[in-house]
Amino acid sequence: MEQYIKNLPTVFRTIKSLKETIITNIVFMGQTPATTFHEKNRSEIFLKRLATFRVDECSKDDYNNPIGIIRGTSDRKPPIFLVAHMDTIFGSDIDHNYTVKKNTIQGAGILDNSVGIGVLLSLPVILNALELRFESDIVLAGVIQSIGRGNLRGIRHLLKTWPTPIRGAVCIEGAELGRLDYYSNGMVRGEIDCRIPITGIRSDSSRPNAILMLNEAINQILELRLPQKPKANIVFGKISGGFKHGKNAYDASLGFEIQSNSDKMVKSFFRDIKDIVDGLNHENDVEMNIKTISNTSASRLKFNHPLVKSAGVIMKKLDLEPVSQHSESELSIFLSRRVPAITLGVTRGQNCHLKNSKMLIKPMFKGIAQIIGVLIAIDNGVCDE
Amino acid sequence: MSKSWLAQNTFHYSEFRDLEHLVRIKKQRKLTISLCLPTLNEEKTIGKEILIMRSELMQRAPLLDEIVVVDSGSSDRTLEIARSYGAKTYEAINILPDLEHYMGKGENLWKALYVTKGDIIVYLDADIKNIHHRFAYGLIGPLLMNRQLKYTKAFYDRPISTGKQKMRPTGGGRVTELVIRPLFSLFFPELTQIIQPLSGEYAGFRDLFQQIPFPIGYGVETSMILDIYDKWGLDVMAQVDLERRVHHNQSTKALGKMAFTILKTFYNRLEQLDMVDIKRNLYDEMIQYNMIKDSYQPDIYKIQRKERPPIIEIPAYRERFDDGLKENKIE
Repeated sequence: MEQYIKNLPTVFRTIKSLKETIITNIVFMGQTPATTFHEKNRSEIFLKRLATFRVDECSKDDYNNPIGIIRGTSDRKPPIFLVAHMDTIFGSDIDHNYTVKKNTIQGAGILDNSVGIGVLLSLPVILNALELRFESDIVLAGVIQSIGRGNLRGIRHLLKTWPTPIRGAVCIEGAELGRLDYYSNGMVRGEIDCRIPITGIRSDSSRPNAILMLNEAINQILELRLPQKPKANIVFGKISGGFKHGKNAYDASLGFEIQSNSDKMVKSFFRDIKDIVDGLNHENDVEMNIKTISNTSASRLKFNHPLVKSAGVIMKKLDLEPVSQHSESELSIFLSRRVPAITLGVTRGQNCHLKNSKMLIKPMFKGIAQIIGVLIAIDNGVCDE
Repeated sequence: MSKSWLAQNTFHYSEFRDLEHLVRIKKQRKLTISLCLPTLNEEKTIGKEILIMRSELMQRAPLLDEIVVVDSGSSDRTLEIARSYGAKTYEAINILPDLEHYMGKGENLWKALYVTKGDIIVYLDADIKNIHHRFAYGLIGPLLMNRQLKYTKAFYDRPISTGKQKMRPTGGGRVTELVIRPLFSLFFPELTQIIQPLSGEYAGFRDLFQQIPFPIGYGVETSMILDIYDKWGLDVMAQVDLERRVHHNQSTKALGKMAFTILKTFYNRLEQLDMVDIKRNLYDEMIQYNMIKDSYQPDIYKIQRKERPPIIEIPAYRERFDDGLKENKIE
């Protein structure tokens, strides 16, 4: 590890010398549309390219997560996982062709998560150029069905069916460089749908309005008392509904998320919201229902866990100030299965979830250097206690 | 008309995806290959095009020996970006500066012959939004694997980017279908087998390119096909399916100008070949009309009729390439 830190200038030069290949991988991944549940094309290109990089084993698991394994030197050490999610929010009708300039790459989904998956794909080439060998097998997994309604199905399945213990894991996200996530909140992501049934001949003005019904639901949810401890939060993140400006809305939908570091608290608030929905349903002539889109359990590493500490040291050596937040992503699945894991960001950028999302190229080299540093730290045993 | 050419000389890029094999043949035949990208304000696409080619066909498989950008005077950052990704960059005006200067794609392609070193030259348009290294190796493959072939031309599906981050699945090729194909059908039916004669992606041996004239503008693709056909016949040509190329949609007026230039080039060649006898000079101006306020105003587009001679006739070129390329001489 110390040797790696001492050699950081050389490491940088080597990573930068592979700039074209790294960006090509990012572009090839990002330009292949991959909405959740439709990641097949991107997965196949990912696997084909892994194979051309002569990764020891390239295959899909039985849930179609594409996986490459770089064989380690020891058959006694459990594998180390590096994962990035394959799916994005942008459909194939959106122009996915990226613009590469001197210092930036721009295009739909570049930060979430084309750069993450592109860097994951480039690691065999980079590790080879750095002449790094590991005791553990390195498992490079592009996981499918991760975001939104995917509910992290890919990673859940991969870990559920993985036949051996796992030594440690790094989850790679495009943004933001400096991110060092090591805990996940309990979370339930839900949707409240409201539909106004059309029964008999009624004037439009006498019908309930779906948007107003959701508004009432929001008001009642806002009246719930959120405790300071355990911390809890309810986020209203999405809303849609209606038909046109001058018509009462017949349908509307509200997307929300309950977050807490206590699973019990999350469940309790979900029950409260369900009661509110049931009450509105009962008292009004509407069809309102609530459903769960996804959920994760609260789990964490301690701040003084050797993995977190060594990641922090590496980041500081790279002049990065670690910033930690809860992360309800692949990380939560590793942690809930008691696999030490962290999430790292690769680079900086703008408009993360917009079509014109843009990433900076130069910080990416630091992002890659930190991932490799953490990989070495795990191989040296920081997760073995 | 022989239809066997279409069956025998039409390839799919995937037949050449074994890059190690192509590199082996290239070494055995002691060939060098240059990629040339003619540019004019292509800052949105040039970086990606160069870095993908460098990564895949120079660093990972040494199929290309150089990437050269020849620019017509971009006012954006095309050249700066191209240099930052390792291409050799030239402004066309500075190549063979003693000659009269013209501006146009054909001019860039012609001058590229002077600054590139390869025995094989691959020309790719610099505005390909979905660039992939298949665009180059797909065109190179047939030239390496079949000694009879000296020139390859791309064809593909043409989805259109409508400019609002949305894609239309089909479209394009209007000038081909409305202008070129009818003309080929009238005068050179064999050439109708070329599916996209106006595609901007082609490759060939230097010895072939140096022996044909280059119109300086849009007509270069048309004249190239007619000249190669006239000099060496259809059998030295092949076409390669590159599957999909995303391009910007052009307005009907812009296509009108393109069609006008191509028609002029075509008639010029027909006269040279004694296939038609036009009794008077054709005009050089394409006249289109725009409604401005309450009246129609003519929008006159004057084409430059200039054509560069075969570059082998330029003394400076002969000096530079005197000793080379004899092994690949086309008889």
